Amino acid sequence: MSSASDTMTAQPTIATQKIPRRRRLVSPGLLAALPVIIFLCVAFAAPLLAVLGYSFMPEKTFELTQAPTLENYLAIFSNSYYLSFTKSLGLALTTVVLLLVISWPIAYGMAKIFGRWANFLTLAIIIPLFVSENIRLFGWVLFLIKGGVMLGGLKAWFGIDGESMLYEVPAIVLGLVYVYLPFALFPMVLGVSMVPREVTEAAFDMGASRWQVFREVELPLAMPGILIGGLLTFILSLGSLAESKILGGQAVIMIADEIETAFTFGQNWPLGSALSMLLILFSGTLVLTLLNWIDLDKILGRGKGGNGD
Amino acid sequence: MQFDRRSLLKYSAAAGALGLAGPFAGQAFAAREKELNILCWEGYNSDEVLDPFRRQTDANVSAESGTSDPDMINKLRAGEINVWDVINLNQPWARDQMWPEKLIKPLPKDRFEPYFANMMAPFNKDYEWCYTADGENLLGMVQRFGPFNFVVNTDKVSRATAEDEGFNLFNEASNSGKYGILTYDNWNIYHMCIGAGLDPFVKHSEADIAAYEKVARAWFKGAKLLTDDLVAMNLALINGEIDFYLTGGTYTSSPARLDGYSNIRGITPKKGPMAGGKGGITWVEVTSVVNNPQGSPLAYDFLEYVQNPEVCHAVAFAEGTYNPVTQMGNPKVFEKFSSEELDAIQWDSLEEELSNTVDYQINPDYDVMNKIYNEAKREA
Repeated sequence: MSSASDTMTAQPTIATQKIPRRRRLVSPGLLAALPVIIFLCVAFAAPLLAVLGYSFMPEKTFELTQAPTLENYLAIFSNSYYLSFTKSLGLALTTVVLLLVISWPIAYGMAKIFGRWANFLTLAIIIPLFVSENIRLFGWVLFLIKGGVMLGGLKAWFGIDGESMLYEVPAIVLGLVYVYLPFALFPMVLGVSMVPREVTEAAFDMGASRWQVFREVELPLAMPGILIGGLLTFILSLGSLAESKILGGQAVIMIADEIETAFTFGQNWPLGSALSMLLILFSGTLVLTLLNWIDLDKILGRGKGGNGD
Repeated sequence: MQFDRRSLLKYSAAAGALGLAGPFAGQAFAAREKELNILCWEGYNSDEVLDPFRRQTDANVSAESGTSDPDMINKLRAGEINVWDVINLNQPWARDQMWPEKLIKPLPKDRFEPYFANMMAPFNKDYEWCYTADGENLLGMVQRFGPFNFVVNTDKVSRATAEDEGFNLFNEASNSGKYGILTYDNWNIYHMCIGAGLDPFVKHSEADIAAYEKVARAWFKGAKLLTDDLVAMNLALINGEIDFYLTGGTYTSSPARLDGYSNIRGITPKKGPMAGGKGGITWVEVTSVVNNPQGSPLAYDFLEYVQNPEVCHAVAFAEGTYNPVTQMGNPKVFEKFSSEELDAIQWDSLEEELSNTVDYQINPDYDVMNKIYNEAKREA
């Protein structure tokens, strides 16, 4: 008994006794993330830092040991590179607007109407992604070129002589919209599927018109998906190269083309690096601003409190 | 000697490190005996060229093709000098850039000079781009070459007219929208110089540069299509989107010609502003051994292997583009080519075209002209 009573009396002492915590030098979370951190530092940050370093080197140098200079940035601002930046920007914006307009009805159909046919459509859109982008674009060249599938067919069947749309700006936009459609569409499908049917039905019951439901209910609720898709396609279009080269005959010199030229024929790594940094800075600012605006948790269906609400 | 736990751990770790490093270090040296890395223009990386060498040497041979001479040199500059054993570029880079920058090493003359004797003229005797300026060191071997100026669809512009007019064809306002520019930047710049009545390979005055700029801006404005893809350019020429294009020659027209489009023809102007009144340029590839600190001994064997007649033919007609080879001066090599193949590489006019060209060199004003070129392209 005595021992039992001793135990009974000892229990509160143990419960209230503070066990000194061992001070950990490294938290388990950090330790677990270490391989990924090291990988990112080596594979992601180090090359970027090298590019940043080169952008401050004198022109045409191939080493990072020279005295830093701003001459590359000055050269960019004093030359007509703004044309490539603004034209790339214009093409990217046009592409995003077109993609959003085209993707909305498809996304709506896939999320709300098509039922199991949506899976078929998903496959039909995904399968071409297994073919190289250049080959798909070259297919478009064969379709659009003078004497090609479209114009050759029109001439053979109807005797109509058409002008090819190749090597002009619209051909570049066509290529961009075609290539980046899945990147706008699928986030948008996710966005539209986040709009509860009950909410739209309630809006209709309360006398809202179709347009009002679209503008005041569906669009705001699907906005995270729309923004993610728009952001993704904007960044991809801004850094695109193949569409302008293959379909556009370089009717527009994209900023990615300028960077490639500086690194290869120009043999001017510092200039190419400075152009790259400006592009990264621009895209990065945009991404961070928008991500600040979008509630990623909401998109992923997680409430802030983690309770699924 | 007493062992405690700490010293045991220390010696075990050292032994372990030796055990790990030893075999790997040995393998690193041994691997180079059976490994060869080639950086080249497309063709040398084809299986037709490489497979017999792989079988012959039982070596792991890998080859990567570049997109431009400067691009490939940049790889060596960026530290890949430790990766590559053989580099294949156009003629001026070995002597004027890679040798001064210690990126390549000389070839043993007694082993390689005898191969020149059987080559076509002018490659058969002391071809200057294979040697250092003082003639002391042999820097590489020559094989593929070709005139490289512009290409026409002879159904639209006759060969005679094109040869007589030369690059003035691109200056005529009536031809605006009828041509493309194959954007091999350095070559375009040379041809724009010729179009402005300038020799691209001499130092230029301010007036010369202004004349060049005028031509560059006009040509970009008048071009219907810019692309760096020769297949896309030939397709546009065959389908009637354009009537002619610069920059081009046997290298770009031969794939279309071998496919039966004999109306696609590389043109060398009969006269022009360069030394001796010549109006065209010829490229010649020089293949060198990279100054790799752990270079593979197979690099030299490979340079000998490609002199073999069967391999010469494989190199000339490897996938992609088809080109004459300097070894065609040797009847044993020449007999490997069919009449269709000879027609594809314009053998009928090759000698005449060569006599109307100068060697491709480095332009002393390339930097300033390249800036203007890019501005003109951007602002067109």
